[in-house]
Amino acid sequence: MGNKLIDLQGISKSYGKHMVLDDLNLYIRENEFLTLLGPSGCGKTTTLRIIGGFEKPDKGRVVFDGQDITNLPPNKRHLNTVFQKYALFTHLTIAENIAFGLKIKNKPKAYIDDKIKYALKLVNLDGFENRMADSLSGGQQQRIAIARAIVNEPKVLLLDEPLGALDLKLRQDMQYELIRLKNELGITFVFVTHDQEEALTMSDTIVVMNQGYIQQVGTPEKIYNEPENAFVADFIGDSNIIPGTMIEDELVEFLNAKFKCVDKGFGNNTPVDVVIRPEDVELVAPEKGIIQGTVTHLIFKGVHYEMEVMANGFEWLVQSTKMWPVGTKVGIKVDPFNIQIMNKPESEDEEAVGVDE
Amino acid sequence: MKSFARRFYLFLIVLFLYMPIFVLIVASFNDSKILGTWKGFTLHWYRDFFENATMMNALRTTLVIALLSATIATVLGTLACMTMAKMKKSTKNIIVGITNIPMLNAEIVTALAFMLLFIGLGVSLSFSTVLIAHVTFCIPYVVLNVLPKVQQMDSNMYEAALDLGATPIQAFFLVTVPEIMPGILSGFLMSFTMSIDDFIITHFTRGSGINTLSTMIYTEVRKGIKPEMYALSTLLFVTVFILLFLVNYGPKSKSTKKHKSLTQLMFKNKYTIAVSVCVVIIVGIFGYQLLKDDKEYIGDVYVYNWGEYIDPEVIELFEEETGYKVHYEEFETNEEMFTIVDKKARVYDVICPSDYMIEKMLENDLLTEINFDNIPNLEHIGKQYLESAKGFDPENKYCVPYCWGTVGICYNKNMVNEEVNSWSILFDEKYDGKILMQASVRDAYCVALSYLGYSINTLNEDELKEATDLLVSQKPIVQAYVVDQVRDKMIKNAAALAVIYSGEAIYMQEENDALEYVVPDEGSNVWIDGWVIPKDCQNKEAAEAWINFLCRPDIALMNFEYITYSTPNESARALIEDEDIKNSQIAFPDNSVLSRCEVYNYLGTEGDNLYDYYWTIVGGAESD
Repeated sequence: MGNKLIDLQGISKSYGKHMVLDDLNLYIRENEFLTLLGPSGCGKTTTLRIIGGFEKPDKGRVVFDGQDITNLPPNKRHLNTVFQKYALFTHLTIAENIAFGLKIKNKPKAYIDDKIKYALKLVNLDGFENRMADSLSGGQQQRIAIARAIVNEPKVLLLDEPLGALDLKLRQDMQYELIRLKNELGITFVFVTHDQEEALTMSDTIVVMNQGYIQQVGTPEKIYNEPENAFVADFIGDSNIIPGTMIEDELVEFLNAKFKCVDKGFGNNTPVDVVIRPEDVELVAPEKGIIQGTVTHLIFKGVHYEMEVMANGFEWLVQSTKMWPVGTKVGIKVDPFNIQIMNKPESEDEEAVGVDE
Repeated sequence: MKSFARRFYLFLIVLFLYMPIFVLIVASFNDSKILGTWKGFTLHWYRDFFENATMMNALRTTLVIALLSATIATVLGTLACMTMAKMKKSTKNIIVGITNIPMLNAEIVTALAFMLLFIGLGVSLSFSTVLIAHVTFCIPYVVLNVLPKVQQMDSNMYEAALDLGATPIQAFFLVTVPEIMPGILSGFLMSFTMSIDDFIITHFTRGSGINTLSTMIYTEVRKGIKPEMYALSTLLFVTVFILLFLVNYGPKSKSTKKHKSLTQLMFKNKYTIAVSVCVVIIVGIFGYQLLKDDKEYIGDVYVYNWGEYIDPEVIELFEEETGYKVHYEEFETNEEMFTIVDKKARVYDVICPSDYMIEKMLENDLLTEINFDNIPNLEHIGKQYLESAKGFDPENKYCVPYCWGTVGICYNKNMVNEEVNSWSILFDEKYDGKILMQASVRDAYCVALSYLGYSINTLNEDELKEATDLLVSQKPIVQAYVVDQVRDKMIKNAAALAVIYSGEAIYMQEENDALEYVVPDEGSNVWIDGWVIPKDCQNKEAAEAWINFLCRPDIALMNFEYITYSTPNESARALIEDEDIKNSQIAFPDNSVLSRCEVYNYLGTEGDNLYDYYWTIVGGAESD
């Protein structure tokens, strides 16, 4: 992965009294597929719009390729955006849409025509030159929006929840399509989404955000397997988050039972949060489990069964390829490697502030 | 059966809606001037219309105003929409509500408000005031059409354009404007239509000499309906119909069509047609005007006169001979004219008010002295009339008499077998139920005061009381107090005696030769309408040229023959060929008659109130 291409330094932004971003620091490397992930209102879109130049931060700097572009208008930035609702120009044909940026820059006609052909081929829509934008399906419009952006050869492509309006199947296809495009073009993608699956599938780096703060930055594997706080754990995939106490290194107690784990350095008798992924919970015969409980719900999910097990006053979410009918007494076991220990936040605020490296 | 009933009902509704217009359109192609008789198809009303300079002028003004106001309103309204679309929803709803109100507001209220505003600001009504008013009432229609388009438009489109390298201005013109173009065009066409359509607001805000089709039709119709009007109205209807059709069925088909070529052609064609229709009409009109305006032009003169008070040919002759362009406007009452001139709502160069009103205008310092060096034709005006005019213009400095007449008694020889020479006959119970009185305060008191031997301008309360008692006591034998019906009633022998103006007597005699007119020995009122020049006149030379022209004997004669009121022009009288009229005691009575008559003086507000007070007593008295 290359050098820092975009560097956001101490960015703050508020609308009226509502603070959207507070002292945000983030860098994006050249050639990276970086995803800003978080629930609505977390500041991810604002961050993208600040990079695109559509919003000015109240405080902080945006550095692009070593240059401060904080006050540069969008039309002077070497990056292009794919908008959530495509924002195709409905009064123009597809070809005219794609040519828009090139015509503004007064490129020769032959060059523009080549570019249109190339871009349409790239997004698998050859022959659509003379169609009108609103005669295309959502997925096709999305591809045109991408084509319109990339013909300008931006160093960075900003994508604002581009798959949000598509149906599930199409969304999955487009995920692969985007990965392929990114690899073919070799440029940086900054992708905004609230869909953790999209983020996990496509990204090199995921930035989890909440309430204007970065919660965790890392590869999809790291974010998924080692969430740094309860918010990330909860937001990325499903989790059992259980309050407990770290008795000593490698031993944690929760739900009135002691479990072996691999974490160290939390001190003795410290209150912590314990995170266990549903697929990491093993259901066994009652006598073989560390704690015992009863299956209360059962759903077939295709790849696996999803069950809820009531044990020691906590409702466990469990995913397993093996089915345990409702009412069955079961025992629960967890591999020490699959127990993730997190510091308990001391206040509500800290839950949001999270960990900054 | 049921569906037949339904269809028949629908047919009735459509018939009900379109019957009047249908009749109008048919009439415009009817060779007969009389409605209801079909004499064959003709286009000559259309030809007459296109050859009528007044109408073509009005058409040009209408189109220029419509085009300008629609353009300006479209620009202003569209910009307003851009701002409104960015507002918070609650604020926006309030603003939209505010902009909608003018559309629902009674037009007459808007019109009066505009007039008051302009007059209040001291702005003379002119072409610009009409334009400003039109722009104002068009803006809501633009907002109505454009705002939804702006809101429908993905707000990211503008940003996408910026993102692709366009400057804010490029983004606005290359993306925002084309995206909302259907709304802009609809707004423009609707404004254009509304502007062409408007009468009330134009009527109240137009300056002197400015006539649109609707105000022109209004003025003309008062003089009688000409078949050219049918042609004009048909053309107006068809134009508005086409424009509205285009607005409603224009760009909608767009999104359903798949291919650019077809959609864009359809889309462009409809508007191209609409726009080219407008352009062709306008170019045509201007071209026509250019061809037509071959006269030598040296300036404008704005004339304000009573309705039906000049031979239209006289105006044309004046324009041809002098090179002045006449902007001719009419008023219906002295009071209406006074308000306009006093408030400087419209500026005129030369006006023709009545005696007492001239006095009032002098008291209000609204008139300027006439330079009689420029009016050599004054020598044709009889000295006795100038003498009478001294009643309101003591030094004969401000007014040149135009028409005059007396108030007297008209009686039917077959019903009145005695000599009539006194007002007393109107109080004779022998004629119970056969007497008609004039329903105007001054004329009614003129009868009573003259009969009692008092001045018709008295402000002495005892004399007024006495006159009031006399009128009250007379009321049981009076058939009615009337204004216009007097002519018809006397002609149809429905009454024996009536108080009338001399000018009407000649006409009535022609219709019924049993009628006679007499000015009683006790004296009466002589009225004089004369030309005066207001202080704020823009072209005094032109005004004086106008007055001088009207004093020329041949011209005065033309006018006399057209309007039949007595002319003070002695030389014109000498030219009259019909001996009966030339020697008519009604049209040209002996000097003795004139000398025993008085003009009405301006009595001041208090005087007017005094007369009005007693007049209500007469009005409230038992009539039988």
